[in-house]
Amino acid sequence: MLFLQILANGLVLGGLYACIAAGFSLVWGVLNVINILHGSFIVLGGYLAFFGYTQYGIHPFVSIAIAAPLFFALGYVLQRTLINRMIAAPVLLTLTLTFGLDLMLANGMLAAFTADFRKLILDPPLGILRLGALVLPIDRIIAMLLALGLTGLLYLTLSRSRMGRAIVAVRMDREAAALMGVNVKHVYALTFGLGALMAGASGPLLAMIFPISPLTGPVYLGKAFVICVLGGLGSVPGAMIGGITLGIVESFGSLWFGPEHATTLSFVLLIAILLMRPEGLLGRKGYA
Amino acid sequence: MKRALLIGVLLSGVLALVPLTNDAYWLRLGTTMLMYGVLALSWNFIGGMAGYPSFAVAAFLGLGAYTGAVAQKFGLPMGWAWVAAGLSALLFATLLGAALLRLRGHYFAIASLVVAEVLRELVNSATELTGGGMGLNLPVPSMISVQAQASFFFYAMLALVLLTFVATVITTHSRLGFGLRCIQQNEAAADMLGVNTTAFKIAAFALSGVFVGIAGAIYASWVHYIEPPDVFDVLYSVKAIVMVLLGGAGSVFGPLLGAAAFLTLEELVWRKFLEVHTGVLGLLIVLLVMFLPRGVLSITQLWKRPKDHRA
Amino acid sequence: MKRLSFIARVSTAVLSACLVWSSPLMAQELIRIGAPLPITGPLSPEAKKLQNGINLWVEAVNKVGGIKVGAKRMKVEVVYVDYQSNTPRAVQATERLITQDKVDFMFSPFGSGAAKAASSVSEKYQMPTIAATASSEQVYDQGYKYLFGVYTPNQTLTEPLADLVAKQASGVQRVAILARNDLFPLAIAQEMEKSAKKRGMNVTYFEKYAIGTLDHASALSQIKSQSPHWIFATGYINDLILIKKQMADQGIEAPVVTMIAGPAYKEFVSGLGKGAENVTSAAWWHPAVRYQGKDVFGSTENFNKLFREKYGLDPDYGEASSAASGVVLQLAIEAAGTLDRQKVRDALAAMNTVTFFGPIKFGPTGQVISLDPPVFQVQKGKQVVILPTAIKQGNLQLGVK
Repeated sequence: MLFLQILANGLVLGGLYACIAAGFSLVWGVLNVINILHGSFIVLGGYLAFFGYTQYGIHPFVSIAIAAPLFFALGYVLQRTLINRMIAAPVLLTLTLTFGLDLMLANGMLAAFTADFRKLILDPPLGILRLGALVLPIDRIIAMLLALGLTGLLYLTLSRSRMGRAIVAVRMDREAAALMGVNVKHVYALTFGLGALMAGASGPLLAMIFPISPLTGPVYLGKAFVICVLGGLGSVPGAMIGGITLGIVESFGSLWFGPEHATTLSFVLLIAILLMRPEGLLGRKGYA
Repeated sequence: MKRALLIGVLLSGVLALVPLTNDAYWLRLGTTMLMYGVLALSWNFIGGMAGYPSFAVAAFLGLGAYTGAVAQKFGLPMGWAWVAAGLSALLFATLLGAALLRLRGHYFAIASLVVAEVLRELVNSATELTGGGMGLNLPVPSMISVQAQASFFFYAMLALVLLTFVATVITTHSRLGFGLRCIQQNEAAADMLGVNTTAFKIAAFALSGVFVGIAGAIYASWVHYIEPPDVFDVLYSVKAIVMVLLGGAGSVFGPLLGAAAFLTLEELVWRKFLEVHTGVLGLLIVLLVMFLPRGVLSITQLWKRPKDHRA
Repeated sequence: MKRLSFIARVSTAVLSACLVWSSPLMAQELIRIGAPLPITGPLSPEAKKLQNGINLWVEAVNKVGGIKVGAKRMKVEVVYVDYQSNTPRAVQATERLITQDKVDFMFSPFGSGAAKAASSVSEKYQMPTIAATASSEQVYDQGYKYLFGVYTPNQTLTEPLADLVAKQASGVQRVAILARNDLFPLAIAQEMEKSAKKRGMNVTYFEKYAIGTLDHASALSQIKSQSPHWIFATGYINDLILIKKQMADQGIEAPVVTMIAGPAYKEFVSGLGKGAENVTSAAWWHPAVRYQGKDVFGSTENFNKLFREKYGLDPDYGEASSAASGVVLQLAIEAAGTLDRQKVRDALAAMNTVTFFGPIKFGPTGQVISLDPPVFQVQKGKQVVILPTAIKQGNLQLGVK
């Protein structure tokens, strides 16, 4: 029974993780930029939901719809003005750039909201679901379903819409896409905007479950890294698989090795995958 | 080469006069600057010369700090503990390099970053040996005065910086340095031309680790108390990179210049912009990365590389 | 150009003259105490509490004209430095306060870890230092002579608690312990394990969680599968609120649930609402204690009253202990009759008196050994003292949901 409970915990967590990583993976895969700001965007989205709920009574689910366009715009503008200048620069510089930007954002949030952990507690609470001996908190289940839904929407956008297909085209071959008339600069900004959207929209979801603080940003980022490597870059199904795998690894790792090793285990897994199969479980070769 | 060495020795001579001021503040600041110098020069081997974006400095620093501290806990005299730290860092860097240097670009960067996290957690859980989350205390040399202690650690760091500097100069003018620069320009071509890229890269990575390890051990003895989150802090890796970018990657004096400039900025910012000091640091990094690299030596070389999204 | 530099030189000379002339006047009448605190960063909520306590004491002392040093009275000034919740910076800040700001005495940084790190510096410079919030014995095990702490060792919290549970809840056999991997939380968890085993209880689970853990589901699922009678969790307030909430999420129930060190703070109760009900905890002080002291506050009730007037809420143990460090320092200076550091240090070591915080007597390691830490429980949203018997306000209630 413990086994089933741990598995269930892992699956639920995994769905959430997939949402965290999908946008990050997209940006990395298409622009070859590691967006260190991703974790902080998630936290910012969480603050939006928290203050929305405590000050104005706006339910976190509604906050998702508010956060989405806001973060899309933020991402688009950021990419167009700052990051695009560095797009051809070596890996080191773009990484350091987003790192510096993240320091600024994190510090800004710290100064504005302080380091106190905020907990978004729904009133009335959603309660727990009992399936036989399994116990699952309902807020997590709903958050997971919404997360999967959001990820699914992203997937549909990429595969069905014109904008999405342009993004995929640029990801596959930049020069060829440009030759076909795709405005690459615009696509880059769109992609970054989408990435920011996914981060900002998952903020309210995560806020319902985890505490919110500028210090949690790096934690989410770390998980996004591992999921991308597990699942492959630029692939939404990959982020899904990677997310669920990580959720299960963390749950069982916590059980077998002790809770303090859960994160370490996921990082060891990351290094192992990088050494054996850098393109991940579902990814394509390239962007090494 | 002779000229660079001569300048280096002269600089050391000048710096050696600092402890004579007997000012605890300047000594502390100076020792920190010298340590930063070691970090910057070390990263330069793998990042500046070979062009591999390593974030492993924090891993080596922490490893060296804990090796030195644990060695002293078991009774090893301080000097030998430092040597032990250097050796363990050298060994670790060599093995790690052999495993990781197959990766390129982002993947290498992430792997090297993650190594520090893994090491930190391993140290955290080995509570019996390292004190884990409770930290580790080092013996305070009670025989000598406070002043003498401060001067001693200053000189120790100075000696280390000089050592690292000499290693840098020798490497730059040797076949290794030439090979590394070839690797940075175009690794595949260098390979075809007969450069033993694997061996050279590992050598550079090992060099980037050994001095940092010793610095970690000296640091631990200097502050008397270390905890995993302090010495395995990824910010050390970032600072090393920023310092080299500031001063000029690949060159011999660049990292030292960068270290001095960075420390000055950092100290001024800590004193003036208390609440937002990390934010200001971030801003500096952003400005540096966006505007300064164009003027700095080997970055323009990187710029001229064919537009290639790999690495 | 030449004129500018001439003006610059003259103004510098004038300015320096002014500074030199004015500073002896300023430095003379004040006792300056250095207080490095984590004013920014993850531990900033704790710094706020410490500042509240210290500032209340400074106000009270300066109101009566200052500390009595021999024949005259000298006012007090506290020099705060932020070390950004970063331990190496705490050590740097301590050194800076001693060597550059040239303070007369020092308060320790927050918590056992940073206090231990900074104590080496204090010892180096032979600077009497009072630690308001360091309880773990590991902080005091270096044979230092200049460090004094107003918290009794961790087992003084766990022993009375274990005793109470063993007597009043005799069915308690299985104990599960979840500790944050940090100096104080881990140390006190280890003490709890000892106290439990001493009374024949069976510790079936003892695990550590990393600092910054956001999800305890796995650990809690495991704990649940063992159906323990007593769950003991350690960490800081954010960790404990999260753990308790996740316990409720998994439907975990047990006769006794103890958490250190969150439930003493009002934020714990307001953060959890009904979830905090019947959680037990222990601390080094509680506003319900009653002591008549020889210090500037005079009695616990008076301290509570002044605190409420200034801040609008009841003090908790962090706020009281920081005020107590000031009080203890004051009493030592007044006993020594001088600011001489060696003499003040000796006065601290010899101290045997009562304050609003409780009886103060320091043991050979510098840690106070005289307190009787209260055990309390959250009942109907309020913290109710259940030990020591002399001041108890209620009885232990079993059963936590």
